[in-house]
Amino acid sequence: MTLTVYLPLLLPALVAVAARLAADRARPRAAVPALVAAAVLTAVATIWSLLLLILTLFDDLPDMAALDSRSGLHLPKPVPDAVAVVAVVLLAVVLFRLERDVHLRRGTARRLRHAGPSAGGVVVADWAEPLAVAVPGRPGEILLTTGMLRALDVDERRAVVAHERAHLAHRHHLAVLLAGAAAAVNPLLRPARDAVAYLVERWADEEAATGVGDRRLVARAVARAALATAGHPASAPAPALGVHGSVIVRRVRALQAPPPAAMRWQSPLLAGVAVAALVLEATATADFVAVLRAWLIP
Amino acid sequence: MTEDEAGRRRARGELESEVMAALWSAGEPLTPAGVQAALGSDLAYNTVQTILSRLLEKELVRRRPAGRGRGHVYWPAQDAATLAATRMRAALDERPDRRAVLQQFAAALGEDDAETLRALLAEREP
Repeated sequence: MTLTVYLPLLLPALVAVAARLAADRARPRAAVPALVAAAVLTAVATIWSLLLLILTLFDDLPDMAALDSRSGLHLPKPVPDAVAVVAVVLLAVVLFRLERDVHLRRGTARRLRHAGPSAGGVVVADWAEPLAVAVPGRPGEILLTTGMLRALDVDERRAVVAHERAHLAHRHHLAVLLAGAAAAVNPLLRPARDAVAYLVERWADEEAATGVGDRRLVARAVARAALATAGHPASAPAPALGVHGSVIVRRVRALQAPPPAAMRWQSPLLAGVAVAALVLEATATADFVAVLRAWLIP
Repeated sequence: MTEDEAGRRRARGELESEVMAALWSAGEPLTPAGVQAALGSDLAYNTVQTILSRLLEKELVRRRPAGRGRGHVYWPAQDAATLAATRMRAALDERPDRRAVLQQFAAALGEDDAETLRALLAEREP
């Protein structure tokens, strides 16, 4: 269980590679579930590896230490105690960050829910800052500010509402929540989290384009809304994919290009990562159990 | 509920939100005919009238007589929208990191990106 327990901690790097490659090439509807599944699985593998490392401390328990003094017992010391202690600290940090991230995302949605009476699922807020937000719930709601409504023409408004309705219909907040939680567990998954955030926007753009029957109209709505937002000094940046703002440009360009084709080799890469995570964890766990049995059953 | 009925219900919801949006962006009270024109679609006058009555019941719009027997003019109810804005701002201002996890339609831009977008918009104008 030497390498097999450490390797899963690094597997997310491969998920990140797949995420970067899938972001602009794959059909969002296919890429989002695959990326989320791979991110969650490798995040769970990360936690499991840390747990195994921590459990190797078992021989330091007072009762177990007595077994150590048996003569003629030569068992390999699979993991140095120092590494196991580091794993304890890491697991504590990971669980703290996980709780904080999930709490922040769920809390934000809860506070925005039922902001006012809705007309057909849309709540209008009289606020100059242009904002359009999908608030998940049962049923979900769309929050639109008057700043956003006034920045757009009637067709563009229809595109924005269709985009937000797509977020709600496909429960995109769950994908974003899970990817965010996975990245909170293992920072190597941050590119995957950002790719999922970008891809759900692309997914909603494509769905809106189908709904209003015009890709260029959706592209125009995205561009105009972003320019209106940029013109508003109080508006906060929402950076993703590392580059500030350019996400919008990528969305507009993607809408001007033909619709993306299906994923080709990104799926096998992600499936490979998933299988590798399972095999490595199973091997590490089996090794751990073998050592434990040898220790306890002389 | 049959699929067709579900479709009609959803369509009615969409129309309600579209009428609200039209009233807000008009910036002045509109007659039902004005709403019809603002939406620019082939909506029947009676449909617009029905939606306006529903919105009036929900207290999302107000109305007054237009005068000279021209029916009523409608405008969006201010108090509901002000309250929604107050709640929204409170939720977002309380913790600035909430904005980062918000699924916003559009994010702020750098100046380079704004230039690129303006160019892209201009490119497509006929």
